[in-house]
Amino acid sequence: MKKLILSLLFAAVCMCGQAWASTAEELYQNGQYAQALSAYEQQLKDYPNNPFLYYNIGNCYFKMGSRGLAIANYYRAFELNPRDADIRHNLELALSGSGESLVPPGMPQALHRSFFVLSVTELKGLLWACAWLFCLLAGVWLLTRKAGKLTVVAGVLLLLVAGWFYIRHSWQSEPLAVVASPKAELRSGPGTNFPASATVTQGHLVQVTDQKGTWQQVVLRGEGLKGWMEASALEHI
Amino acid sequence: MKKIFLCVCFLTWATLAMAQVRLTAKTDKTDLALDDELTLTVQVSGISGTMVMPQLPSLPAFNVFSRETAQSITNGHTTLSFRYIMIPRMVGRTTIGPVTFKYGGKVYQTEPINIRIYRSAVPASAQTQRQPAKTAGTQQAAQADASAQMPPLERELAAQAYNHREPYFLVSAVSNKTPYVGQSFTLAVRFYYADGFYEAAYSNPTVSNLFMEDNGRSQGRQTLHGTVYNYEEKRYTLSGAGAGPASVGEASVTYRVESLGNSLFDRFFGGAVVSKPVTVTSQPISLSVRALPPGQPASFYGAVGSGFTMTAQLDKSETEAGDAVTLAVMVKGPGNLKTTSDLVFPSFLGFTSYPSVPQSGVLQNDSTRSYKLFQTVLVPQASGTYTLEGISWSYFDPTAKVYKTLTARPLSLKVLPSANPERKLDFGSQTPLGNGIETLQQDIRYLKTDTDTSLSLLARLPEWKWLHALVFMWLAVCLFMACIGKKTAAKKHAYQHAKTQLKKAKTYEHISDALSGYIRNKWNISTASLPLKDIVTALQKRGVSADSLRTFATLWKELESVRFAPVAPTDTALSAFVTRAAQLLKTWEKHV
Repeated sequence: MKKLILSLLFAAVCMCGQAWASTAEELYQNGQYAQALSAYEQQLKDYPNNPFLYYNIGNCYFKMGSRGLAIANYYRAFELNPRDADIRHNLELALSGSGESLVPPGMPQALHRSFFVLSVTELKGLLWACAWLFCLLAGVWLLTRKAGKLTVVAGVLLLLVAGWFYIRHSWQSEPLAVVASPKAELRSGPGTNFPASATVTQGHLVQVTDQKGTWQQVVLRGEGLKGWMEASALEHI
Repeated sequence: MKKIFLCVCFLTWATLAMAQVRLTAKTDKTDLALDDELTLTVQVSGISGTMVMPQLPSLPAFNVFSRETAQSITNGHTTLSFRYIMIPRMVGRTTIGPVTFKYGGKVYQTEPINIRIYRSAVPASAQTQRQPAKTAGTQQAAQADASAQMPPLERELAAQAYNHREPYFLVSAVSNKTPYVGQSFTLAVRFYYADGFYEAAYSNPTVSNLFMEDNGRSQGRQTLHGTVYNYEEKRYTLSGAGAGPASVGEASVTYRVESLGNSLFDRFFGGAVVSKPVTVTSQPISLSVRALPPGQPASFYGAVGSGFTMTAQLDKSETEAGDAVTLAVMVKGPGNLKTTSDLVFPSFLGFTSYPSVPQSGVLQNDSTRSYKLFQTVLVPQASGTYTLEGISWSYFDPTAKVYKTLTARPLSLKVLPSANPERKLDFGSQTPLGNGIETLQQDIRYLKTDTDTSLSLLARLPEWKWLHALVFMWLAVCLFMACIGKKTAAKKHAYQHAKTQLKKAKTYEHISDALSGYIRNKWNISTASLPLKDIVTALQKRGVSADSLRTFATLWKELESVRFAPVAPTDTALSAFVTRAAQLLKTWEKHV
């Protein structure tokens, strides 16, 4: 009896989940992107680490013409699930519209795919797995003086994965933002009393290096331009 | 062949020549009084050859009393200008129909012009002051009715003019004294004269907190106090620069008139004496410019007024990838659109956009309205069928006091694959998929309908903290065990190890080492740096029996002496020492 009630409850929860998803999809199909967006954002509160919700939110923003916000959400989805082909495709397409690219210039595509084959969380898991293996083998060696070579191999593997994790983690923790407003002004100082040196269209990736009040110092990675932008014009990834 | 070529050249030239023919018609005003006059100017340009007259439409509301024609020729092309001066015949609204012009077998037409004719009158208030009380009755009602038909600006000018009785005077008025920022309105300055004059110099009024632009001039006639006055009118388009007080300063006219001299000589010879220059000025006008209400839409670029229209079109509906198409957005409306900000085109996915500098100007048929043309060149990157989203443009309607947004209809464009393989822009032609599959355009991929994601095993590993602790505990235990076990094992295997050493012994030194190793492993006593006496004392402390100690001491001394003997050991002697050492170790192992 108890099992039956639990099964029914589980089925009811699943049906509710499917209901909101199909409603959001229907809104998207009918071109009501703003309504579909709010439905997905509502779900994101319950599942903050769901890459597919970020992906769908990115799609809604893209269809609404907000390429900057679409890129920010595709990026979030990509960081959570870098192996998904659809996420990578949409992110690359949205970035290409701004003259940006996911793969840094000069880096082979295969190398980039290999480097991002695992998410940071998965990489952390791999690091733990390597640590376990090393500890087990080291213990065996200490007690029996056997499996010495395997222990050395496990130690080297642990060091390699630790290096990979360190680079990925430092890459991800870099304060990256995307220009979200249709046209943002790059000024020489944190205020409108400083002259605007350039205008940047939405979708460009910038590195945030400093903040003063409502202004943020940014560096345009491709062009090497540095200046100040209003924080409201940027969407942090 | 040569003739055919010449014929083709001639036909091409003729076609081009005809294509450049332009016909325009405009009036100097669209509102006028019944005793005023209207000037219609028709201009034909781009023709060649003989002069052809344009055909005026039927004009039942006007008497045409003057025609003037002017002709100019530039680079073989003739420009004809026809000027018709007309007097209205009736009060009301009328339309000057299209002026037609036939040339080269083709008929050209102008747009119709709407004209409003009102009764010549002065405001009832001004009239009342001057009419005797007993005659005021019916005349006052008629005049009030007439002035009600007049546009506010005309009424204001007429009212000001009625206050003057001098033969020369200047009046000015604006159509709106409380405009919004950016809202256009009209300033009119009229110089009335009942007699002739010459050498009149006109000075424009100065303005503050306003933008001013010339909007043409006209002439007219008005009867005041039984005197017929002619007037020269100059109009300006003004717009508020910023919220707050604004002003229009004095305009002035300095003129000279002829007067006969008083002397008999002058009268006899009819000589004229020129008077001194006289200056008449208009009254300054104070205005208050109102700020625009908050809540401006993103597509608001500063236009204020009502009756704006917007059109958007592409110069072609089909093109090739990499070929340019021009998207033109035309906005028309009241006032001067030149002062508004430029439209920001949205970014069209799949297109490279090159916006050009907008063009603006006054509409030909209506000088109170203007246009602004925004253009951008779009270069499609890939083949496919595209829909360019509708462009929005907002303005503030001062009558309704709300912001209104105009949205152009979405435009469709078919882009064919590039025929030029070197253009390297068409995605489809760049990546032929074979098997009859053609890539048309790129778009984002569809939604993820199954958003329920379960984490991979690797992603879940960091959460198993108890397992991390277990593994590290395992390592710690192993390390501890290794440290402890090393000593225990050595102690345990001391006898075995020493026996093995004795079996393999080839010298006395080997026998000595076997004994030392046993003592070190068994009791942790290093014999290397200790004299025999101390070794024996240490062994005694660890409970070794006195008998065995004596045996050990004897054996140790003998070993010490034979170790450094110059003669090599014989097998028999070595074997005897090995046996004695083994016997000693056996005793120790058994009893200790």
